[in-house]
Amino acid sequence: MLKIENLTARIGEGDEAKSIINGLTLEVPAGEVHAVMGPNGAGKSTLAYVLTGRDGYEVDGGSATLSGEDLLNMDPEERAAKGVFLSFQYPVEIPGVPVMTFVRAAMNAQRKARGEEEISAPDFIKKAREVGEKLKIDAEMLKRPVNVGFSGGEKKRLEIFQMMMLEPRFAILDETDSGLDIDALKTVSDGVNALRSPGRGMLVITHYQRLLDHIRPDKVHVFAKGRVVKSGGPELAEQLEREGYDGILGEPV
Amino acid sequence: MTIAELRTRFQDPTPAELQLIARYGELPEDGRRARAFDAFAQSGLPHRRLEQWKWSDFRQSIQSIEASSAQSGPRMAPPANAIVLRFDGRSWDVPDGLPDGFRVFEKDTAQALGNAEQLPMAALTASQTGQPKTCDILQIEVSSSQERPVFLDFAGAGREMAFARIAFVVRPGARVDVIEQHSGGAGLSAMLVEFGLQKGASASRTLLQSGGHQEATAITGLVSLDEDSEFQQTALAFGAKVARIETRVRYSGPNAAAFLNAAYLPADGKHVDFTSHVWHGAESCTTRQLTKGAVPDGGRGVFQGKFHVPRSVGQHTDADMQHQALLLENGAEVFAKPELEIYADDVECAHGNTSGQLDESALFYMRQRGIPVAEARAMLTEAFIAEALETAHPDVLQTLLDASRDFLRGSGE
Ligand SMILES: Nc1ncnc2c1ncn2[C@@H]1O[C@H](COP(=O)(O)OP(=O)(O)OP(=O)(O)O)[C@@H](O)[C@H]1O
Ligand SMILES: [Mg+2]
Repeated sequence: MLKIENLTARIGEGDEAKSIINGLTLEVPAGEVHAVMGPNGAGKSTLAYVLTGRDGYEVDGGSATLSGEDLLNMDPEERAAKGVFLSFQYPVEIPGVPVMTFVRAAMNAQRKARGEEEISAPDFIKKAREVGEKLKIDAEMLKRPVNVGFSGGEKKRLEIFQMMMLEPRFAILDETDSGLDIDALKTVSDGVNALRSPGRGMLVITHYQRLLDHIRPDKVHVFAKGRVVKSGGPELAEQLEREGYDGILGEPV
Repeated sequence: MTIAELRTRFQDPTPAELQLIARYGELPEDGRRARAFDAFAQSGLPHRRLEQWKWSDFRQSIQSIEASSAQSGPRMAPPANAIVLRFDGRSWDVPDGLPDGFRVFEKDTAQALGNAEQLPMAALTASQTGQPKTCDILQIEVSSSQERPVFLDFAGAGREMAFARIAFVVRPGARVDVIEQHSGGAGLSAMLVEFGLQKGASASRTLLQSGGHQEATAITGLVSLDEDSEFQQTALAFGAKVARIETRVRYSGPNAAAFLNAAYLPADGKHVDFTSHVWHGAESCTTRQLTKGAVPDGGRGVFQGKFHVPRSVGQHTDADMQHQALLLENGAEVFAKPELEIYADDVECAHGNTSGQLDESALFYMRQRGIPVAEARAMLTEAFIAEALETAHPDVLQTLLDASRDFLRGSGE
């Protein structure tokens, strides 16, 4: 599914350039959920942006493929149409564009790029209602402009709403748990678990074991200085919780 | 007075000004007409050396006035129940069967204009209108609230010049909704629209302007607001070679309110100037002004706004002026001058002025969801502009939104 090999990437140009991803190798097979943990500034969000094609993030070497297709040469919208979804650490406000309008535009743009039929308005509304109910999202919220005036937790919930609407093949969740209250964490995790399927992969970036109690990952990777420094099973996350990064990595990072 | 004598009042008249002098010379003599023309002659066609016109140089833009080809650009369909008043570049056409409380007076002599020295293009209109057998001045008395919107269709119909005046007097407590279509079609057009709102009266004005690449157009709105009256204006302009939409609001009684919203979308080679002046000449009046623009390469937008709050009479003024421009491409030009002139001490006045580009992080967010970049840009820009159009008359709101969408998706023009 997602295969990253010896990836090196930097932020900025010329003298400003700063290497953030330093020879990263990681593979998430179809059907699996992997967690990424690591100290602040380790490069977790940077990896998410490199994989989704944000401007200003330059790849210097290595590769990233989804089901064998090179992701790194595609525009962000092409990657989205191929099924790459990012739940943003900091979701962005889109003033004046209601959630329903936005998600429908996104869904139809992806479908068009894949040569599929557009979704009909009634089908779209029906699906939005079902997903909204699962995530306990108020229908009124879906009429408001995307993320404008939303609370931190509401924004995160809306990211998962979009994920469940768009049904991506590969989802990256960047600290989707931060800002969620205990009940919301459960609701959102149930949503994520509902999407687990043999054809879909996920990369879950988090700082907290709590999320991983709900979403049991197949593997946990520890990130430091732009590389995977340790990989293991779910027990690695528990060990991290007890011992901290210093303990796991055997030296200060 | 002979043409030769009139010429001497202008410094070095341009061919266009000579044409205006000649047209004036053919109209019946009238003291009010002469005063208006004198006011116009002081500056001639306004030009960049006048502070108020430094970004909109009519003299430079139209060296000589030539007949324009027919209208272009987006148009509104009059709402089904509208009272439609058409100006064909020469004369108003007034339909039969006007409703109760709505009286139309046709004027065949020149009408006075206050403040003419400060308004050269309106002074020009005042000097060039009012003649027998041609109905280019209407006065409308609204004495009871009108269900039916009034649709003013200003067309130049392929003429060299077009001048028209229309004035609404709205009697106490009455209401009228006015929709104006200015679709160019004359080499030079100058229209003057006046609203006098009496105690507790209210009016809304929705305006759509578009004009050709060789046309110059000036639309002046003069609004006077008595106690407890309310005026709401929403304008969308696509510009012309040079287009100025000027609004002057004067409060003459307390607790009145004005809402002035505008959006400009000038294509390559077009110029839109929104200028406004609000005189808080009475206590406790409220002004809300929002002007937005989105400008591509080669387009030019101008915003000049002024709130004037005099010392004694302007107490408890509550006024806010916002101008926000998006420069869509390199080569877009926006000039803005927001001004607050406040002499009263117990007031709340604020203003904001920004111009910049679309938010890159919002664009990326949209693209990450699969929306192609061009579409994402158009969606963000449309939403940005739409905020200034929300107050448009509901019967034409969708047309205005569609017109701005077509423009931003490249099928405008
Ligand atoms: N636009 C930028 N310009 C310069 N440096 C940047 C920029 N964006 C990120 N960085 C730096 O890159 C490093 C990695 O940042 P990144 O956001 O990927 O960390 P992270 O692992 O997601 O951390 P956190 O757990 O705090 O979210 C940090 O040192 C950060 O300061
Ligand atoms: Mg991060």
